[in-house]
Amino acid sequence: MMKDCLIIGAGPAGLSAAISAAQNGVDVTVIDEFMKPGGRLLGQLHEEPDHVWWNGIEEAQKLFDEVLNQSIDLKLGTSVYHIEKANDNWLVHTNEGIYRGKTLLVAAGAAERSIPIPGWTLPGVMSIGAAQVMTNVHQVKPGHNGIVIGINVLSLAIARELQLAGVHLQGIVLPPEHLLTKGVSHPMDVFQSLLHLTHLAPSPLLKWGGLLAGKSAFIQRLSLQMYPKNGFKLWNISVQMKRVVTEIVGHEQVQGVKTADLTASGDIVPGSERTIPVDFVCIAGGLYPLVELVGVAGCPFKYIPSLGGHVPIHDERMKTPVDGLFVAGNITGIESAKVAKAQGHLAGLSISEALGKLTENAEIKRAIEHIEKTREKALIQFHPDIKKGRKHMETIAADFQKKEVSGQ
Amino acid sequence: MREDMIICRCEEVTYKDIYQTVEHHQCSSRETKLRTRAGMGYCGGRTCRTFVDQIVAEVYGEPSGDAIPLKYRPPVRPIPFKTMGGK
Ligand SMILES: Cc1cc2nc3c(=O)[nH]c(=O)nc-3n(C[C@H](O)[C@H](O)[C@H](O)COP(=O)(O)OP(=O)(O)OC[C@H]3O[C@@H](n4cnc5c(N)ncnc54)[C@H](O)[C@@H]3O)c2cc1C
Repeated sequence: MMKDCLIIGAGPAGLSAAISAAQNGVDVTVIDEFMKPGGRLLGQLHEEPDHVWWNGIEEAQKLFDEVLNQSIDLKLGTSVYHIEKANDNWLVHTNEGIYRGKTLLVAAGAAERSIPIPGWTLPGVMSIGAAQVMTNVHQVKPGHNGIVIGINVLSLAIARELQLAGVHLQGIVLPPEHLLTKGVSHPMDVFQSLLHLTHLAPSPLLKWGGLLAGKSAFIQRLSLQMYPKNGFKLWNISVQMKRVVTEIVGHEQVQGVKTADLTASGDIVPGSERTIPVDFVCIAGGLYPLVELVGVAGCPFKYIPSLGGHVPIHDERMKTPVDGLFVAGNITGIESAKVAKAQGHLAGLSISEALGKLTENAEIKRAIEHIEKTREKALIQFHPDIKKGRKHMETIAADFQKKEVSGQ
Repeated sequence: MREDMIICRCEEVTYKDIYQTVEHHQCSSRETKLRTRAGMGYCGGRTCRTFVDQIVAEVYGEPSGDAIPLKYRPPVRPIPFKTMGGK
């Protein structure tokens, strides 16, 4: 059966898009490979600066209720492995058969970057997102006594969730320095990358870091030298910017990690090496847009590090240069769930417009403004230069359109 | 650094395998993949593709451009042969 619109991904972006499109009379099918709707929302739990808790499971439920309300067709447990265009329509191949649509929105979210560390293939080593899914979605503890390798906004947020679930953590530490850990293994680089997160929590580390933001390199170096080797406590978890895990060890499963202290310039302090027993290890290397399906669809890309890497070219209305192909959410750049939701809402309107079901431009303008406002207020910012990255993409998309028009 | 560290988990390709291949053949990510099988396993390169790209960028000097170095090809999920028309 031919649908007006197919949406891949039932995260905040995909569900919001389905709702705003359906409200305009668009006939939509949403496809997701997970057995529950909500995408990454399902793992989220954090406290906003106004002390209100952001409970992702509840947010997902609200969207799902609205989806049911609008009688939107939702296919769960359905994995898309290929998309192609035939006679101006989209064919979406899944393990449950082929779906057809006039327009296609890919809202597939993000994937996690890992960090190779000797011993990282042992059972009991997992990505930080896997630990989040086990704990918050399946409600199974990943272990009893763990350690997190990689210090960034995602690992801080999820470490907190693990702690709330009663999982003991030895701390959050650095990965070993090698070719593949440039920028995430040196104490100074990590220290600087955390300076823009001071609003996250009223903690000593971040307040202390905040005082240093904008200070000279000399002052920053000096303060890093004074940074205690046991780290600062953030919600009672020690964030250790001067401790490294050099190897994960164990017989058939994780039994411990080899650690060492670092000097402010990143050298191992001789004699500080020791082995700490742990029963699980989380690796947190950050996120990148999951672009495999738009790649298969032939969409052109732009490499923009502040958005998370390679992102599909798209204009401010979420339209790609490929006719009838739209994108929304983390696939367009790594940001918080609220931004993904706002982008999804806009994409739903754009799709309605493309199908001739919406002619009112003011609503689209408002949706664009709403994204900007949401971004402005976002608690979780994955990259300090996100706004510059977004602007960059807008100019790229505009240039692209000009070229298309002039037939180059 | 431990050179026997695994980079591609699916195909069990080590750091040393990849580094030496790129160094010896002065090759792109795609050629490295074809020579070592890194990125050709079950996960479709989801975990190691950025590592292969980084090693290639460093050793061969192919910087990150706008085109994706290891192109995505269908199927992007593992599927049984019967889905492709087999019995
Ligand atoms: C591990 C992790 C933790 C995060 N934690 C936070 C946090 O605490 N706070 C925060 O604000 N943001 C967090 N984020 C960012 C998060 O991505 C956004 O908050 C938000 O969920 C993005 O929404 P989305 O709709 O773009 O994608 P997602 O919520 O990721 O949804 C995408 C959906 O697409 C589906 N999908 C993908 N490919 C296919 C396919 N081939 N076939 C079928 N279905 C497919 C997936 O199953 C998924 O349900 C986190 C991200 C990750 C990866």
